[in-house]
Amino acid sequence: MADTLTSGPVPSRTAARPGTAAGPGVTAGRPAPDTAVTAPARGAAPSRRSRAARRLRAAGGLGKRSLAVGLLLALWEVLPRTGVVDRVFLPPVSEDLVAWYGLLRSGELLDHTQASLVRSLAGFGLAIVAAIPLGLLIGWYKPVAEFVSPVLELFRNTSPVALLPVFTLILGIGETSKVAFVFYACSWPILLNTISGVKTVDPLLIKSARSMGLSSIRLFQKVLLPAAVPTIFTGIRLAGAYSILVLLFAEMVGAKAGLGYLINAAQSSFRIYDMYAGIITISVIGLLFNQLLVHLERRFSTWRTT
Amino acid sequence: MTASSESRTGGTKIGIRGVSKVFQVRDSAEVFTAIEDVTLDVREGEFLTLVGPSGCGKSTLLDLVAGLAAPTSGEILLDGTRITGPGLDRGIVFQQYALFPWRTALANIEFGLEAKGVAKKERAEKARHYLDLVGLTGFDQRYPHELSGGMRQRVAIARSLAFDPDVLLMDEPFAALDAQTRESLQEELLSIWEKTGKTIIFITHGIDEAVYLGQRVAVMTSRPGRIKQVIGVEFDTREGDLRADPAFGEYRHQLWTLLRDEVAAARAQEVAGVG
Repeated sequence: MADTLTSGPVPSRTAARPGTAAGPGVTAGRPAPDTAVTAPARGAAPSRRSRAARRLRAAGGLGKRSLAVGLLLALWEVLPRTGVVDRVFLPPVSEDLVAWYGLLRSGELLDHTQASLVRSLAGFGLAIVAAIPLGLLIGWYKPVAEFVSPVLELFRNTSPVALLPVFTLILGIGETSKVAFVFYACSWPILLNTISGVKTVDPLLIKSARSMGLSSIRLFQKVLLPAAVPTIFTGIRLAGAYSILVLLFAEMVGAKAGLGYLINAAQSSFRIYDMYAGIITISVIGLLFNQLLVHLERRFSTWRTT
Repeated sequence: MTASSESRTGGTKIGIRGVSKVFQVRDSAEVFTAIEDVTLDVREGEFLTLVGPSGCGKSTLLDLVAGLAAPTSGEILLDGTRITGPGLDRGIVFQQYALFPWRTALANIEFGLEAKGVAKKERAEKARHYLDLVGLTGFDQRYPHELSGGMRQRVAIARSLAFDPDVLLMDEPFAALDAQTRESLQEELLSIWEKTGKTIIFITHGIDEAVYLGQRVAVMTSRPGRIKQVIGVEFDTREGDLRADPAFGEYRHQLWTLLRDEVAAARAQEVAGVG
């Protein structure tokens, strides 16, 4: 599982960086012979046509992606209306959106959203604060790693969801138990990625830094930490998704507010429109949150190419 | 050692005295002798190349001089003082560049200066100076992955020069480059050496490279590595195509003959190791 955690998409930004055209290779006073290898590729400014083509392709890509979502929404609208599916259980999307707007205006939706966001962000934030330093420690000190690794092995193969009753038992059904639950679930991807980030730093870089007489602390600060940042961010992005996922589950099992509660309560009292309104809200929040984290991850990994 | 090369350079800079390095083979009582009883003096400001078959312990010797490992027996002196650890008086250039990928070319060159405690403004100035010296003016904001192999090695050389070590240790720095890039970098390295007066130990497995660069060429035996012979290299003139000089061919042949038996022995060991 640890392996799959780190294999998130790492988009290379170099491919899409038209600003580097006409590089300084042209202006270098003494043209280095080996610069000729890269000079033509960078030197030639992209023609207007190719730029337009790229823009068109980008627009086309966006269109293609929107098309799929549009198609899904259309099906959601048409299938209930034509009676292919029972509109009692799956009302057309337009009607769900009307219900969503009603919930928004009444303020009910905001209350639930706020309750959920506070819990998941608190748990997520605490996980970042706790798991990164712990992961760095475990990754850096071999004795610590050897000592805790059997426990890590055990826990990371235990679904956090299985432990929810334990949280409820010990911490009750209040906010503490939910935040703690999110915190627990979010800690794993961050912890495991931080450990592997520190462990997989190219030994040659460490050797190179050591040859310059760096102390252990400086080595950690100047080599290990920056080298591990992209991997750590992959863990953070995964934890972001977890934070919403597990919270929703906790809220469905026992809560008096929150989107999970809203969805579950609406279903059991047969407010089907409200149930879908809650689902739509949570999926949009998840999407936005993930986009934000992907964006951040990319910003911190510009140098990573493979 | 010839008398003529003695006169060209100063006193002993690096004294390698009866150095051996033995490794413990993992999870067994077996030991592995990488180098054995190596004695070699490198003079102040000298350019010494070190050739030997693969696996003969060249890199191990360089690690010892760098202070990254301690010899099992014998000692290595730098300016008469025993080497006990790494330091900024020696700079290493690796075959695989070892640039920090999250740092720009300029910031990579500044790395050693940071370790040395040079003030920020001075760091940038110095780094820029050395970037110019290796012919990469204007590439300061490029990340390593945006540079070609030859350019990366130029940055690595600049990084090692920037903190102004007396000694430059180079571990097959041009082995991963194409022939054309290698030749131009060899030429530039010589001109940098002449300008800066550094003492350079340059490891290579290329005979031509060893003859072209070195004032002296030390030939190592196959494992366990020992110094087989040290040959002084001198040309009447370095003008024109040095590699076409008959004297170049003679040195080349001499080294080739010395190495032939060692390479054969190394291959036999390798086959025995696999089988």
